[in-house]
Amino acid sequence: MSLLDIILVAVRVAFAAFIPLCFIAVCVWMERRGAGFFQDRAGPNRANIFGFRAAGLVQNLADGAKLFFKEDVISDHIKHKFYFVLAPLIVFFAALVSFAVVPFADTLVLNGKSYIMQGIPIDIGILWFLALAGFGVYGIILAGWSSRNKYGLLGGVRSAAQVISYEIPMGLAIVSLLVVYGTVNLNEMAQFQGKLLFGFIPMWGIILQPLGFMIFLIAAFAETNRTPFDLAEGESEIVAGFHVEYSAMKFAIFFMGEYIAMFASSAIIVTLYFGGYQIPFLATDTLISYAKPIAFLLMLGLPAGMYFFAGWIRRNNVSHYPRENDPRVYEANIYIKCFWGLVIVLELFLFALLLCQSEGSAAHIFVVLLQVSTFLLKVTMMIFVYIWVRWTLPRFRYDQLQKLGWQVLLPLALLNIFITGAIVVALS
Amino acid sequence: MSAKVKTMERKGASFSEKIYFVEIFRGMATTFGHFWKNLLDNSKLYVRHYPEVEPEIPVRWRGRHRLTSHDDGTVKCVACFMCQTNCPANCIAIEAGERLDGKAEKMPATFTIDLLECIYCGYCVEACPLDAIRMDTGIYSVTDNNRESFVLGLEELLQTPGAFSEEEYKKGGA
Repeated sequence: MSLLDIILVAVRVAFAAFIPLCFIAVCVWMERRGAGFFQDRAGPNRANIFGFRAAGLVQNLADGAKLFFKEDVISDHIKHKFYFVLAPLIVFFAALVSFAVVPFADTLVLNGKSYIMQGIPIDIGILWFLALAGFGVYGIILAGWSSRNKYGLLGGVRSAAQVISYEIPMGLAIVSLLVVYGTVNLNEMAQFQGKLLFGFIPMWGIILQPLGFMIFLIAAFAETNRTPFDLAEGESEIVAGFHVEYSAMKFAIFFMGEYIAMFASSAIIVTLYFGGYQIPFLATDTLISYAKPIAFLLMLGLPAGMYFFAGWIRRNNVSHYPRENDPRVYEANIYIKCFWGLVIVLELFLFALLLCQSEGSAAHIFVVLLQVSTFLLKVTMMIFVYIWVRWTLPRFRYDQLQKLGWQVLLPLALLNIFITGAIVVALS
Repeated sequence: MSAKVKTMERKGASFSEKIYFVEIFRGMATTFGHFWKNLLDNSKLYVRHYPEVEPEIPVRWRGRHRLTSHDDGTVKCVACFMCQTNCPANCIAIEAGERLDGKAEKMPATFTIDLLECIYCGYCVEACPLDAIRMDTGIYSVTDNNRESFVLGLEELLQTPGAFSEEEYKKGGA
């Protein structure tokens, strides 16, 4: 292995391990500020460091510090302390590792060697995700059981029943997707979605499989224990369900595991149905051959976008009550300067790319970075959909949940396989 | 007279409502409207910027307690124990003492209110025959670091001024 190989392995493992962790902060922030805006209130915006609130992101630090220093209570009535402590770790790691097979950029070709851009370079792809997403629920069941508490146990049992009901439609939705793509490798699926249907529509999974997408989306919501399917922790009925006995960092690990699961599940939805890292109408080959014009367009677009973004910051980062020498105006000016600095750095990078003579490695790396940004943007938008749904829909009643799973989604998923199969056979 | 009967329309029976999706998307459009409006311009949020902008306290609002005094500065309370007897939270403790200023026979030697016990029901104000205890200080934020400072004594209760004028207070219907 050359040095380049080792660096690229380190980069992709670091990406697969740390991006989900970074996204915890982003998810929690989006959830809380988003919830605020959905309900016409502000959300957390007071915590600050030297007056800098970073739009409420500092609140995450405060919450983290609080959870970290809280007393770690394990009640005396808990007999199996090992399982009790193990449960949140299962949830957390199963969620974290399930992201490892998601490709975040197309295969990078450097000096004639190709490097796969996913955490673990294995071909089983979607099967790995299904296995680990299902495994995460064991943590919840184990937590409910080892809590020795009727609410905890009820939460765990609900979660188990819910997973049994929704793994089947999810698996069947994926089966019809596999019929279309003809592979379980997520990178090949993403490459497939770079093509165009009838020459002008991006061949994304959602266009080929609209019904399958809806089924998969609903099942994914159920799988990540998000509203409207968060019956495992229905606080109005069973207090907090499976994590009722958990406090401090053990609770925080559950909490973070839930958000990582949300991130991983968004990443899978994006990869399966929204073209993964593909930019619509610009497949990887096109991107590489037109790297310089695209870089030039970006150089024009970035300052224009930044101009409007700066205006938005200046309008919204002020105190909405009479206040002398408003410190928030000063704060906004600092943010705007930081963002302009960032834009200038990016411009310099793009300019360096324009000056670069070789069409080879620089363009390839540029395309990979472009695709990583596209992928993360799509995932962020999918996470926003999760949050949006959470703050719109009420929780399902338990019998309605089971009815939806068995009597609606399961027949629909079977019908979807039948239709897909018929069309694929007819076309081939 | 016959009772007015209003028949409520039962929702959720039609086909488009039963398949959930149409209604879900309509609901999501509504919430997204709110989100987008607030994201573009956060000046119209329905919030009070609390520590900086304080709420307006109406006259009838039950805030922290105080004891009133006569014009010459003597305490109105005659230690009749009405408020202590009435208090559902048992937060008032009075010790009566002899009164030498000629206004009455008794006066409180000590009068303590434990604010950590108090439920701010206002029964003490209702029970007082002499208008000696009031909750018109307008103090709504009672915070401190130690428990002892929440136990108010006679001096503290007497020194706290009322937040409203006498006319306003009377008009408030206390």
